[in-house]
Amino acid sequence: MSKKNKTSSLSGLRKQEKKLGYIFASPWLIGLVIFGAFPILASLFLSFTRYRMVGTPEWIGLANYRALMFNDSIFWTSLWNTLYHVFLSVPLGLFVGIILALLLNSKIRGIGIYRTLFYLPNVVSIVAMSLLWLWLFQPNFGLINQVLSPIYNLFNMEPLGWYRDADLSKLTLILMGLWTAGGSMIIYLAQMQDIPKDYYEAAEIDGANGFQQIIKITLPLMTPSIFFNFIMGIIAGFQVFAIAYIMTQGGPGRSTYYYGYYLFDKMINDNNMGQASAMAWILLLITLVITLIALTLNRFVFYLGDQD
Amino acid sequence: MQSDNTFKEHRDPKLTLKQRRLIKNTLIHAVLILLAFVFMFPFLWMFFTALKTPAELLQGIEVLLPKDPQWENFRVAVTTVPFFMYLKNSLILVFFAVLGTLFSATLSAYAFAKLQWPGRDVLFVVMLATMMIPAQVILIPSYILYDLIGWLGTRLPLIVPYFFGGGAAFYIFLLRQFFKGIPKELTESAIVDGAGHFKIFFYIMLPLTRPALITVSLLTFMFVWNDYFGPLIYLSNPDHWTLALGLRGFQTQFTGRYDLMMAAAILVMLPTIVLFFIAQKYFIEGITFTGIKG
Amino acid sequence: MKKIMLLSMILLVTITLSACGSDEYSDRIEIEFWHQSPVGSDSYSGLRRIIREFNESQDEYVVRGTGINFWDYWDRVNIAIASNNAPDLGYHTLDNVILRAENQALYNISDLIEADIEAGVETLDPTVFLENQLEFATYDGDLYALPFSATTRMLFYNLDLFEAAGLSEDDVPTTWDELYEVAKQLDKVDGNTIEVLGFDPSFGEGTYHQYLWTDGLDFFDEDLNPTLNTERHLEILEWMYDFNEEYPRSALDAFGEANQMLGINPFAAGRVAMMVASDGLYETLRPLGDNINYGVTHIPLPDEDGVRVNWGSGFSIEMYDNGDEDKKAGTWAFLKYLLDYDTQVELADTMGWLMSHIPAMEAYAEGNEILEAFVNELEYAVDKVYVPYAPNWHATDWDQFFTEGLSGAISAEEVLTRARNLYIEKQENYERSN
Repeated sequence: MSKKNKTSSLSGLRKQEKKLGYIFASPWLIGLVIFGAFPILASLFLSFTRYRMVGTPEWIGLANYRALMFNDSIFWTSLWNTLYHVFLSVPLGLFVGIILALLLNSKIRGIGIYRTLFYLPNVVSIVAMSLLWLWLFQPNFGLINQVLSPIYNLFNMEPLGWYRDADLSKLTLILMGLWTAGGSMIIYLAQMQDIPKDYYEAAEIDGANGFQQIIKITLPLMTPSIFFNFIMGIIAGFQVFAIAYIMTQGGPGRSTYYYGYYLFDKMINDNNMGQASAMAWILLLITLVITLIALTLNRFVFYLGDQD
Repeated sequence: MQSDNTFKEHRDPKLTLKQRRLIKNTLIHAVLILLAFVFMFPFLWMFFTALKTPAELLQGIEVLLPKDPQWENFRVAVTTVPFFMYLKNSLILVFFAVLGTLFSATLSAYAFAKLQWPGRDVLFVVMLATMMIPAQVILIPSYILYDLIGWLGTRLPLIVPYFFGGGAAFYIFLLRQFFKGIPKELTESAIVDGAGHFKIFFYIMLPLTRPALITVSLLTFMFVWNDYFGPLIYLSNPDHWTLALGLRGFQTQFTGRYDLMMAAAILVMLPTIVLFFIAQKYFIEGITFTGIKG
Repeated sequence: MKKIMLLSMILLVTITLSACGSDEYSDRIEIEFWHQSPVGSDSYSGLRRIIREFNESQDEYVVRGTGINFWDYWDRVNIAIASNNAPDLGYHTLDNVILRAENQALYNISDLIEADIEAGVETLDPTVFLENQLEFATYDGDLYALPFSATTRMLFYNLDLFEAAGLSEDDVPTTWDELYEVAKQLDKVDGNTIEVLGFDPSFGEGTYHQYLWTDGLDFFDEDLNPTLNTERHLEILEWMYDFNEEYPRSALDAFGEANQMLGINPFAAGRVAMMVASDGLYETLRPLGDNINYGVTHIPLPDEDGVRVNWGSGFSIEMYDNGDEDKKAGTWAFLKYLLDYDTQVELADTMGWLMSHIPAMEAYAEGNEILEAFVNELEYAVDKVYVPYAPNWHATDWDQFFTEGLSGAISAEEVLTRARNLYIEKQENYERSN
C-alpha cells in the first residue's frame, strides 16, 4: 500500500470522526444525561443538607464537610486505612492476577477445569469464603500458623495474629482479597488471545525461549489490560468494604474500618444521609486525583492499534 | 508457554523433547492441584452444608461430612419457592442486560478507542468518575427518578439502563483497551479499501475482540444473575422476583435454614460455573493476521 | 444482529404489558403490607392465611402482603420511606419510631383511636401492650405506631452440663457472685483448649449496656449526654473483661472463633453452659428437641440490690402517611385485626416471635415453661433509648472500643474514655448541623 493513498483516506475519515464520535458514544452519553446525571447531582445536593433519610432535606451549607474535616477522628482513621489498602492491594492484586493468568494460559490437559476452580471464589457465597479464610488465618488453629509453627519456634517468636493484630489486619485482608484475583485473570486471558500468533512464531525463529517470549511479547502486549485492572483496582480499592464487614467488622481497634464502611455506617446506622453524601463526594475527589495521576502511566501502555 | 524451552539453561541433554515436556507439565499440574484444593474448599463446604439436617447444622462441622446426606434439601429448595418462575425472571433480566451492555459498551468503547472527537478525553474521565461514587448514595435519588418516570414496580429500571451504558463504564473502559490493542495493520487495510467506521466496527473490531466480548457477557451475566439488591429495591411484585432475590427467603431472623440456603445457592451457582467453563474454552487461540485479511 | 434486536424489543414490550394483570378482589381498595415472611420462609403460609382471613372477612379492602427477608427488609423499607413510596403498613424498629414521627412519615394512631371512640366503633385498647413499648411509640404525647413484637433477654442454662458437673437447677445463679462460682465449676479445659465454658458475659447477647442497667446505670443521662465516666462504669466493664481472666485471651478467642467457624451456636452445641440470649435462641433450639435439656432465668444481678431488667427490643407496626383517606381507613381496620387477641396468638405461633399483646402471649405460652418464663420477663424489658446524634450507640459506635478492650489492646478505662469522646464528638457535630 502506498503511503499517499493511506493518508488521504485517513484524513477523509478524520473529518467524519467528530460527528461519528458522538454517534458511537451516544448510548452512553444519553444514559448519562437521563439516568446518571440526576442521581449524581442529587447526591451532591444532599451533601450540603441535613437529611435523615426521612422528611425533607434542609440546606446547611458546608456543615457536613466541616464536621468531617475538623471534628471527626474516625473520618481520618478510615481514610488512612483505605489509602493503605489501595497502595498495597492494587500492585499485589495485579501481580497475582498476572501470574495466575500466565500459569493458566498453559496448554495442558484439564486446563479448563483448573481455570474454573481458580475462578470459583468469585462465584461462591461470601459466607463460604469467610470460613475458608478463618480456617487458614485463625491465629490459634489456622492452617497457615500451623505450617509456620516450625519457623516461629526457630526464631522463638509469638505466632502472628493476622486479622486479630491491629498492625497486620489490613495486610491480612489484602491477602484474603487475593483469592478473588481470578476475576482479573479472565481479562488477562482474554487479552492474551488477542496477541497475534505471528509474533511468537517470529520470536521462536529468532531463538527466544518461553520465558523471553513472556517478557518480550506477552507482558508488553498485556499492558492494556494490566492498565485497565490497575485503574479499576484503584477505583474499587477506595470503596473496599465487604471483606472487612464480614471478617473483622472493622476491627481490631478500627484498624480495618475503611472509608466505605464508615460511609455505610453513617447512612444505615446513623441515618445521616447528608454526611454520607459528603463523604462520597470527598471520596470521589480523592479517587479522581489519584486516578488522574495513574492515568499518566498510559504512555507506557503498548497499544498495537496506536503503533506505527 | 508456546515452546518448552523454559528450562533451557538447566536441561539435561539426555532428555528428549517429549520427556522434558512431561516433566514440565507434571510440575505445572502439581502446583495447580495444590492451589486448586485451597480454592475449592468454600465450594465443598457449601456442598456438604447443603446435605445436612437442621440438627446437624447446629452441631457444626466437627465432622465435615453429613452422616445421612439430605439430597432431599435440593428438592425442597426447588419446590418451596416458585423456582422456575424465579429462573424465568432471572433469565429475562440477564438476557436484556447482556444484550444491552454489549450494544452500548461496544459502540461507546469504539468512540473512546478509535475516534477523535472534541471532549472525548474529558468525557472519558467523567466516565471513570461515575464509578468512583459509592452506589449507596445515589440509590435513593435513582429510586425517586424511576418513581417520577413511573417505572417503579416494573422491570424497566433493571433493563433499560443497560442499553444506555448503565453500569457499563467498567465494560466500556475494558473494551476500549481491547479495541486499542487491535493491530493497526488490520484496520488500515480496511480503510484503504474504503470501509467506514461502522464497517470497521462490525467486521473487524467485533470479530477480533471475541474473547473480550465473551468476557463482558460473562461478567454482565454473573453480575445480574447474582444481584439481589437491584431486584429487591425495584421489583415490588414478587412475581417478578429473580432467583438471587427469591432464594434469600430462606434467610430468616432466627431459624436461618443454612442447609436450604446452600442447596439453593449451589443451584444458582451452577449455571455460572458451566458458562464459565464453556466461555474459557474460547480463550485458547491467538489471532492471526492471515486469517482475517483474506 | 438486527433480528436479535427486533426480537428483544418485541419481548420487552410483551413483558411490560403483561406486568399489568388482574386477579380476584380487583374492585376493592388495595392495602399494601410489607412483612418479613417471604416465600420459602417457615412463616410464609401462616401469615398468608392470616391475611386471607382478613380479606375474606369484609368486602371493601384487599390486603396485598409482600414478604422480604429480615436482613434485606430494612434497606427496602428505608429507601421506600425516604422517597415517599412506603407501603400502607409495615414493620419497623420500635426504638426509633420518633424519627419517623417527627418527620411526618406516620399517621397519628391516637387520632384514629379517638375517632373510633367518637363513632362508637370497636377500637384498639392500648393497655394490652407493655407500657415501656408504648412509650417508644409515642411522640409529642400521641401514638404514632404500635408495638408489634416483643423481644426479651434471659440467661439460658444447659441442665445436661449442670448435671455433668454435679450441679442441679437449684444452683442456677441469680447474682454475679453465684454466677461466677457456678460458671467456674462448669468450665472444662483440656491443656490449652477450652472445651466447655461455664459463662462469659460477652457471649450471646450479653451487652455492656444491659449489665449497666442491672446496676441502675446507663450510657447517657436524662438529657442524653454521654456518661460512662464513673468508677462503677469501669468496675462493670472490668467485670466483663476479667470474668475468664485465668485463660489466655488467645484461647478464649480461639474458642469463640471455633464456634463461628463451625457455624454453630455455642449454647446449642453444648460448648457454653450458660449464655444470655433472647427468645430467638428458643426458636433456634427447637429443632434439637429433647437432645438438649435447658432452662431460662432472669439475667443475674450485680447483688441483691440490683435492678431486674433486660434489653427488650421489638418491632413496631406503622401506618405510613401516603395521603389516601380510603387506604388509611382500610389499613387501620387491618392493623386492628393484626393486633387483636386471636390474631396475635396465631401470629406468635406462625412467626416464632413473642408478640406485643401481653394477655394473648400469656395464653399462648401457657404450658410451655420456657415461653412462660419469657412472657413473664417481658415486664422487666426495657428498650434502648433513641439518641438522635448516635442512633447506633450500642452497636457500631461502641463495639469497636469494647472489642479492643476485650483483646487487651487498651485498658477498660481507655475504652470508656474513648467511647465517651466519640459520643461527645458526634453530639457536637449533630448540634452544629441542626
